[in-house]
Amino acid sequence: MTPPSLRRAAALLAMLAVPAAALAQAAVEGRVELPKGLHAPVMNKRYGIVAFGGVLSPFPPVAVVYLEGAFPRPAAPATAQMVQKDLMFLPWLLPVQVGTRVEFPNLDDTYHNIFSYSPAKRFDLGRYRSDERPIPSVLFDVPGLVTLHCDIHEHMRALILVVDTPHFVVSDPQGRYRLDGLPAGRYVLKAWLDSKTTLERPVLTQSGSTLHADFP
Amino acid sequence: MKAAAGIRPFAPLRALGVPILLMLALGPSALGQDDLFDKVDDQLTFGAWNDALRVRLSGTLDLEGYYLGQPAPGLIFSEGNEIFNPRLTLFLDVQLGPRLYAFVESRADDGFDPGEAGPPVRLDEYALRFTPWGDGRLNLQVGKFATVVGNWAVRHGSWDNPFITAPLPYENLTGIWDTIAAHSADEVLVWAGVEPRPNRGGEFLDEYRNVPVIWGPSYSSGASVFGEIGKVDYAFELKNTSLSSRPETWAPTETQWQHPTFSGRVAYLPDEMWTFGFSASAGPYLQPSAEPTLVAGRGLDQYLEVVLGQDMSFAWHHVQVWAEVYEARFEIPEVGNADTQAYYVEAKYKFTPQFFGALRWNQQLFSTLPDGAEGAVRWSRNVERLDIGPGYRLTAHLQVKLQYSLEHQDADSQNWGYMLAAQFTARF
Repeated sequence: MTPPSLRRAAALLAMLAVPAAALAQAAVEGRVELPKGLHAPVMNKRYGIVAFGGVLSPFPPVAVVYLEGAFPRPAAPATAQMVQKDLMFLPWLLPVQVGTRVEFPNLDDTYHNIFSYSPAKRFDLGRYRSDERPIPSVLFDVPGLVTLHCDIHEHMRALILVVDTPHFVVSDPQGRYRLDGLPAGRYVLKAWLDSKTTLERPVLTQSGSTLHADFP
Repeated sequence: MKAAAGIRPFAPLRALGVPILLMLALGPSALGQDDLFDKVDDQLTFGAWNDALRVRLSGTLDLEGYYLGQPAPGLIFSEGNEIFNPRLTLFLDVQLGPRLYAFVESRADDGFDPGEAGPPVRLDEYALRFTPWGDGRLNLQVGKFATVVGNWAVRHGSWDNPFITAPLPYENLTGIWDTIAAHSADEVLVWAGVEPRPNRGGEFLDEYRNVPVIWGPSYSSGASVFGEIGKVDYAFELKNTSLSSRPETWAPTETQWQHPTFSGRVAYLPDEMWTFGFSASAGPYLQPSAEPTLVAGRGLDQYLEVVLGQDMSFAWHHVQVWAEVYEARFEIPEVGNADTQAYYVEAKYKFTPQFFGALRWNQQLFSTLPDGAEGAVRWSRNVERLDIGPGYRLTAHLQVKLQYSLEHQDADSQNWGYMLAAQFTARF
């Protein structure tokens, strides 16, 4: 048995030692002070006939709040989706646990070409349309921030934050968040705001209670 | 006079060194730079009135090096074997509500074409577009902008174009001058370099007077109407100069608008993979300053350039293919019609997420003109060219491309020409 496997087994045993009901009862909630929102992108329509009206939604500022600790990875790989609709990525920020496969369905009636050169995942899905099956997907197996672009539509950009924990949530545009179903114990609570800013604070979660933790 | 300079063994490295050195220097650390460029992009996007008005400043910095044989191919105007051609391009895109869009492209370089030594800072494109309906069925645009003809102008930017130079129909100089009207086939042959220039020695002396079928993206001035109805795209434009006209004539103040050029393109898109287009254009190819040289009793509008074009494109996963065929006619009263056919087939493939390669085969064939002695002479040299272009994207904002071109002309001497080029592009 390899050392990481031993650690995972130890963590699993530790959790089994706690009554199952207590495991699901701890929660953390609070508010993250969000940075100023970005303007909606401006589409480059210089040479193309763009059938879409050209009104793009602004990126609402949000945070990803996650609990860092030694948690077991899921037995089966999880699946998430980031769609391309109206020449935008939706959602523009997607947190996933390490080992998650993300599908990228194209819901527009034009080609998209998603790629990323981020160190955490380098890929290029090529050009594909809405009826492409299976839906093009990528396995995100290394923690880190992955910036996505479209090779055809310069304004399209999105982020996938790959975290090594099953406990994460995206805040609402006011910065409010709530993490449920947490195990009791001492952990580090982190709030990711952008590629350069991740706030953190130690927390002690207790079964049956909700901890209030604001950032900053 | 252009003359082949002596070839030095390390000259290619010197000419291409800057782009290649930048690739080597930035390669290992470039992946971390994406975030910086994305943040710059965020900072250069402005909004007002709840984002009803949005403005984005963006651009590209191109550092190009050419190592070439003489005569220089296409729209490269140099008497030497090496050229370093830096270029900064700034774009301003403005969206006002869903109906109004405007863009401006300005450039700072050594001239529109390498070695041309034109104005160092220019407003190459500017246009205002009105879109009455959100479905794109109708757009009205006025300004100075790339032609609607063909499928190369929409992808001619250094970031999107897998090659550094344009396809042959957009840059191969014919025997037609736009500053003096031809009066005989012999004159055209001299201008084409097929016949030696009397008393002038060098056959490439006045290369800059010659024109191609289409001069690059043809940023001439005028108005266009275009849109998308179901699976059909259409675009029509009225411009101040013909497709072959040189950059100095593109500004709206350079012509009196008495002899406009009409162009159009209709394309059928059965699905996202395929596009089949048909283009046509007609307009006088002589500049107004050529009026005193016209044959007596003739007007500028009798010296027409008529162009018919067919284009196709295909894209699927990591493959892209483009092809265009042009039939062009330069009408020369009292001499005849100087006809030419030019085409290219181009393919690009992404071998890995960052490494791509492209291959392009180009050919231009010229018809004959009556030689005045009941015979006929070919009015320019037939040309074939193979372009090979590997490229590498260091990041989503940094790219390096190489191009090797091997050209063959039907000529008595100097049949073969070559060019090696490298281009480093930073997009922000």
